[in-house]
Amino acid sequence: MKDISRDLTRRLLSDRKLTQLVVVALFVFALFSVLAPDLFLTPRNFVSMAFQVPEIALLALGVMLAMLTAGIDLSVVSISNLAALSTSYLLVTQVGEGGGNVYFWIVVSILIGMFVGLLAGFANGAIIAGIGVTPILATLATLTLYNGIAVGLRNGQSITGLPEEFVAIGNGSLFGIPMPMVILLVAAVGVAIYINRTGLGMQSVLVGANETAANYSAIGVKKVLYMTYTLSGGLSALAGLIIASRSASANPDYGASYVLLAIVIVVLGGVNPYGGFGTVTGVVLATVVLQMVASGFNALRFSQFFYQLAQGFVLIAVMVLNTYLDRRRLKAKKDKAPKAP
Amino acid sequence: MSYITPMAKRKGLKLFGSPNEVFLLIAILVLSLVIGFSNPVFFSIATPFDLVRSSLIEIIFALGLLLVLVSGGIDISFPIVGIFAGYTSVVIMQTYELDTYSLWIPLVLAAIVGAILGSINALLIAGFGLPTLIATLGTAGMFRGFLLTYVGSAFLANIPLGLDQFATADLVSVETSAGTLARLHVLIIPVLILAVAIAFLMRRTMFGRTVFAIGGSEESARRMGMNVRWTKAQLYILVGIISGIAGILFISLQRKADPYDLAGTELEIIAAVVLGGASIMGGYGTVTGTILGVLLINLIKDNLILLGVDGAWQRAAIGLMLLIGVCSQAISDKRRMKQAVTVSEEKS
Repeated sequence: MKDISRDLTRRLLSDRKLTQLVVVALFVFALFSVLAPDLFLTPRNFVSMAFQVPEIALLALGVMLAMLTAGIDLSVVSISNLAALSTSYLLVTQVGEGGGNVYFWIVVSILIGMFVGLLAGFANGAIIAGIGVTPILATLATLTLYNGIAVGLRNGQSITGLPEEFVAIGNGSLFGIPMPMVILLVAAVGVAIYINRTGLGMQSVLVGANETAANYSAIGVKKVLYMTYTLSGGLSALAGLIIASRSASANPDYGASYVLLAIVIVVLGGVNPYGGFGTVTGVVLATVVLQMVASGFNALRFSQFFYQLAQGFVLIAVMVLNTYLDRRRLKAKKDKAPKAP
Repeated sequence: MSYITPMAKRKGLKLFGSPNEVFLLIAILVLSLVIGFSNPVFFSIATPFDLVRSSLIEIIFALGLLLVLVSGGIDISFPIVGIFAGYTSVVIMQTYELDTYSLWIPLVLAAIVGAILGSINALLIAGFGLPTLIATLGTAGMFRGFLLTYVGSAFLANIPLGLDQFATADLVSVETSAGTLARLHVLIIPVLILAVAIAFLMRRTMFGRTVFAIGGSEESARRMGMNVRWTKAQLYILVGIISGIAGILFISLQRKADPYDLAGTELEIIAAVVLGGASIMGGYGTVTGTILGVLLINLIKDNLILLGVDGAWQRAAIGLMLLIGVCSQAISDKRRMKQAVTVSEEKS
């Protein structure tokens, strides 16, 4: 156990951006613990945070995959709602009033929801890699399209009254760890393995670092992009399923502000918006930081709009700080380098 | 990117020079005929008047955004800048009990607020060199949060009288056969002047040509000795001013000030400008194309029901249309690129 923790500390300290993030996390934690000790510093608050972190972290991981390839996925929230709505629609119509085999339909509808998400992501990939549309424009258009389909599916109404057995998944715990958290951990490890240990994943980072070079190095850029956006769709669908299960409902317009939040998290987590660099640990850690800020603000009774202001501010501040530090380091390197004769 | 410059030059100030603009015009005409034949109500003088009215504000926003796209950037924050400037101006006028009959006071106030917000974008993008998408996404969140937290979140039904009266200022009003009045709003004249001014700015001034050069290749522009940072700073301040004016005019036409308005319209306006032929990679875009893009989107949006699209599926239809728009543009870009390659190969 000691070895693992020492190993973890060493890894966290080896990466400058992660170190920064750990410091920020501790600072935020200390700040709210002092400002609102009886509301923030309670086990209940942390349990509730553990239930809220996974959905947004999964969306952020989806955005991160796209950003690694120097793209972006703005449609994650739309995909997540579409998947949640498809699953819920099937559940409500098939399970109904206790008729039919509940568990069978839960499994089927979860699979359908995941399939919808993967398909939506694959369509993004086809538009970006196949047709050659810029990721921003492509996902901007599909954001509207997927949201429109979700609205059209049930006339803009939300679906409520999901079966208890399905709701139990999102609100349950496994060995004392909230189930959504377990799902997030599994997904995060999966994404980390994909990026660091599989050919396609490593290639996706190279595509982001330099697409032209990747093209000349015989990397299948198109294949990488297809995979990236399909996975992003899958992660979004997973987030949608957790949301549906946790709230026992699905709403086509849930979490409109999550797009900004997901991008804030990804950038705060140290992912380079120009592509080519990013860590899963950073993204998950950044989600925790922002969730602490959200719940701290909540404890201090700040409005949700103040939280939006803070999100925007954090995004800008991190970007400005990183640019400043990068410039300084570049300058230091230049000064150190031997002068040309 | 060398193929872009001769193309842009060839288009010059010609009105309907590019195939994209001709295509948009044909699309608008064909669509009008289709809607009209399926529903004769469409063929009325009221239809173009209503279309103009619903497009005017978007055209102002779109012209500002066009400049940003031409420079190779993107702006997500402009609708928030607009509503921030508009709402704040109304609040200022009410707090200090300024002359409510004046139309100039709110316009100037909104332009000033817009310029301030624009200069924050300018500082981040030109000063710190942040990627434009991230920077404006961040400022959009900040501005909206600030507006709703500190300026106000209340719906204001009583806007200053000057603004309220402007809402019904008609240039022409014709009585239709149905007995209702078809009105053409007077705002069409200032918007046309603005369009010509932006076209002039883009084609005939050093600033405009520098914006094109930056969009074509920022590094080349810098090496040619152009002041890239200062041009970008001016650009984002100008876009702030344009957005601020659009915001206050929006409030005027709506005859109410709601701080929750306009958020989310950025997608549609970006789509309209892209549909109008502006390249999101920068270096290319025209005023005529932009206006036609806005008109086409509004024509479809206003008449989806006449086209037989069920109310619930309207959003999906708009999304599908955006998708077709961006895809067709990407495909024609690819073809142009291929042509450029073959042409240059033939030359050599």
